[in-house]
Amino acid sequence: MPETALPKSWNKESKPHKFCPGCGQALALKILGAAIDELQIQEKMIYATDIGCSLLSWSMFDVDTIQTHHGRTLPLSVGFKKAKPEAIVLSFTGDGGGYAIGAQHLLNTAMRNDPITVILINNANYAMTGGQLAPTTLMGQKTTTAPGGRGVVQGKPFKGPEMLAQITNEDAYIARGISSNYKQLLEMYKKAINNQIEGRGFSFVEVIAMCPVNWHTNAQESLDFSEKEMTKIYPIGEIKCPQK
Amino acid sequence: MPTKIILAGEGGQGVQTVAKIITITAQRSGRNSSYLPGFGVEQRGGVSLAYLQISSKPITYPRFTKADIVVAFCDRAIPTIKDFLSRDTLFIYDSSAISDKSLEKIKNLVSNYLAIPALALAKEKLSSKVANVVLLGGIITHLKEINYQEFEKTLLEEFATKIEKNPEIKDLNLGALKAGIEIAEKFNKEETPFSGIEPPEIKTNFTKEGISWTRFPEYCKGCGLCIVRCPTKALQFSKDSGFLGNPMPIVDMEKCLGCKTCELICPDAAIKVEKTP
Repeated sequence: MPETALPKSWNKESKPHKFCPGCGQALALKILGAAIDELQIQEKMIYATDIGCSLLSWSMFDVDTIQTHHGRTLPLSVGFKKAKPEAIVLSFTGDGGGYAIGAQHLLNTAMRNDPITVILINNANYAMTGGQLAPTTLMGQKTTTAPGGRGVVQGKPFKGPEMLAQITNEDAYIARGISSNYKQLLEMYKKAINNQIEGRGFSFVEVIAMCPVNWHTNAQESLDFSEKEMTKIYPIGEIKCPQK
Repeated sequence: MPTKIILAGEGGQGVQTVAKIITITAQRSGRNSSYLPGFGVEQRGGVSLAYLQISSKPITYPRFTKADIVVAFCDRAIPTIKDFLSRDTLFIYDSSAISDKSLEKIKNLVSNYLAIPALALAKEKLSSKVANVVLLGGIITHLKEINYQEFEKTLLEEFATKIEKNPEIKDLNLGALKAGIEIAEKFNKEETPFSGIEPPEIKTNFTKEGISWTRFPEYCKGCGLCIVRCPTKALQFSKDSGFLGNPMPIVDMEKCLGCKTCELICPDAAIKVEKTP
């Protein structure tokens, strides 16, 4: 009988973790844990996290962790990398931190081709504060601040990886995965982290994640919405992959 | 000196409702009262706290570090309320929901206690939803300065809209309140040991030739993703519950292929599938 199913790099004392039942973000972090285990970088890495539901992951891993608010995680990570270039920096943020309040930091980090790995969770709303409209909310999707559904007033859904692919140079790795596809996302994480280890430059993975509590969906509906509805607007795949 | 009360339970157990009833009743009886709800950053699944104070003089600050009455609704509340216990504290707990193992940890800190098997009593005679009102009965027995009739009045007002839809709720709540008071008044510390329940044994490991399927109740939140993803429909919800009290999946080993789909989709790492030689 196995003792545990937790990834080795997870901090066992903080489990069960604080995410809601059925959370896609927790799933994305489990897969990240598996990637850290496979690449054996637990001792060499720094995990930086933002505010929002992503903050709930501050004690997720048994690795050195730094945290700051409102999108400043990226400049913080870049600063750390500049001071200690041998460290592997993983920056974890939500769509609010990366695409709204911290969009300028994401843009400039990508433009400078700073050698850090950014993982961004796209769950189509601001989950921790109760499901408000986010830049990634789909057209017509109802949220607490758009009770009639997202319309023309709020603008179109924000396609982060596609935009970053335009402004980064050839050495950047840009991809979009989904938390319910374990093997594909694991490969993307590994490529993104390797891009940093091999010194090529900026790497970015957007992860589509379920949010059953704020979407008001059950298990089947959450999977359907993320896998069928969201992927229509946010296609899964590698958008930019540097040639070795 | 104000009477300081802290209540702690799972979100959804009715901790805040009990706190609201006490604070409104205290105000009505001409007392000063303060009520401060407290929960973590989680939207679901955290421990829900309520800080209450009742005094004949004005209350200056709603928080405190040591309480006169500590009420624990569930097992997970024990580490949280530990710091509020002092030598004079009265510890009220649900002896049908809290395990011996948890009580053992705070045994040295508790000198005065009141054990009420609220959940078991409510489940057996009334409905499991009124377990919080049974505990409220236990609390008000120790708030002698406030009249019982006033509590009854506030309780009915709090549930007025629900009673309108379903008149049974009135009798359920009043029955629960009276049952709680009855137990608390008869309670004798010398006769009742400081003990709780033995947590039920849950089968975690299922095997067949070549495949071992294991579930971890201490991590399972009962989201059901594994059930909808199983290609052979080998999984379904069982009567056993995980640490949040939600039902856990169980496997039908006859149908299980050992494909690990359930293990990979589980956000809580609560399932492990292994191929055995």
